Amino acid sequence: MTMNRTIETDSQGAFIEEIEKVQDALPKRIDANPKNVEKGLAKLVLTLVELIRKLLEKQAMRRIEGGSLSEEEIEQMGETLLKLENKMQELKEIFGLKDEELNLNLGPLGDLM
Amino acid sequence: MKIYAYGIINSNSGMDEPLSGLGEASVYNIPYRDIAVIVSELSDEAKGKTDTYILEHERIVERLMEGFTVLPMRFLTVFNTKKDLISMAELYYEDFKDNLARLHNKVEFGMKVIWPADTIKQRIVDVYHKTKHNVSISTESPAKTFVKEKFQEHIIEKEFQEEADRCIQVVDDYFNRIACEKKFKRLQTESLLLNASYLIDKDRQNEFKQAFEQLKNAPSDLKFLFSGPWPCYNFINLTKKPSSVDYFNTEDMLNRLLVQQGFAQERNSV
Repeated sequence: MTMNRTIETDSQGAFIEEIEKVQDALPKRIDANPKNVEKGLAKLVLTLVELIRKLLEKQAMRRIEGGSLSEEEIEQMGETLLKLENKMQELKEIFGLKDEELNLNLGPLGDLM
Repeated sequence: MKIYAYGIINSNSGMDEPLSGLGEASVYNIPYRDIAVIVSELSDEAKGKTDTYILEHERIVERLMEGFTVLPMRFLTVFNTKKDLISMAELYYEDFKDNLARLHNKVEFGMKVIWPADTIKQRIVDVYHKTKHNVSISTESPAKTFVKEKFQEHIIEKEFQEEADRCIQVVDDYFNRIACEKKFKRLQTESLLLNASYLIDKDRQNEFKQAFEQLKNAPSDLKFLFSGPWPCYNFINLTKKPSSVDYFNTEDMLNRLLVQQGFAQERNSV
């Protein structure tokens, strides 16, 4: 290296670990080849479903926080969210997908979730 | 023979001295109007080894920076023909000119911060349990128990994010007044609080390093990885959308260089 560069850390191992996690976290594209096209598409679809599920959940929590839901509404909402989460879990298992795989890299915009 | 591109420079005159690039190929410029693309030819033999060439790519970009303003291109940018390369230069010419002017006499510094995420989360959980909350959800049914758990997670996550913002602000306060521009990625992992790039005037580098010394010596439970100066990998802004290839998507360069070469250098210097 020709520049007069400083690289300084007192925690080299910890940083290597975190950098590797960031680099490994996301495949750059949907891996769709004839052998695993089903999984590739499932990953894309489930990522979008997961995004919507999380948005719904977040909105629900905000409404609870704001005190705008009755006991009955909380019960109904809880039942819906619980079923939705269980169904997602089931689908992830069927397609062999992990939570951290359900994400998309949007380039300069960062990650979807 | 394909053409490997290293970067764009703010001059269309020839290279001052001969340089060897990837696979020992001669580095030369392909002028376009008043700028040039710096390239070397890529033999079929060298093509198979390109993954190992990241340090070579970096070396060439840094040599160019000694005499020019450089827009470093993405590692492994290859053109099939000179015509393809000229088309690219033609398409992005205005953007290149704007970026070359903006990044003239500037360098990039990297600043990564790890925080004790588990400890901080536990502290937030402890406070949550000790605090009397306005919202009370019963646990009389599985659905309500589920909501109660989710609500607790929501509040804890919100606190965690707010704490992260406060902490990032503290770090940034050391550098903000010195930097021309900055780019933050926060919480890429729970522990990696901040992955920041700062754009700095070349003549303010020492000031920036001193600010890091002050930050490092201030009492905190943060860990830092400070690096630079680097070529401006994270500050090239293109208004034209890339077609099939994002020639300047170089944001992972610092991580790759740090892992491959940087830490080895760090071992020598600490």
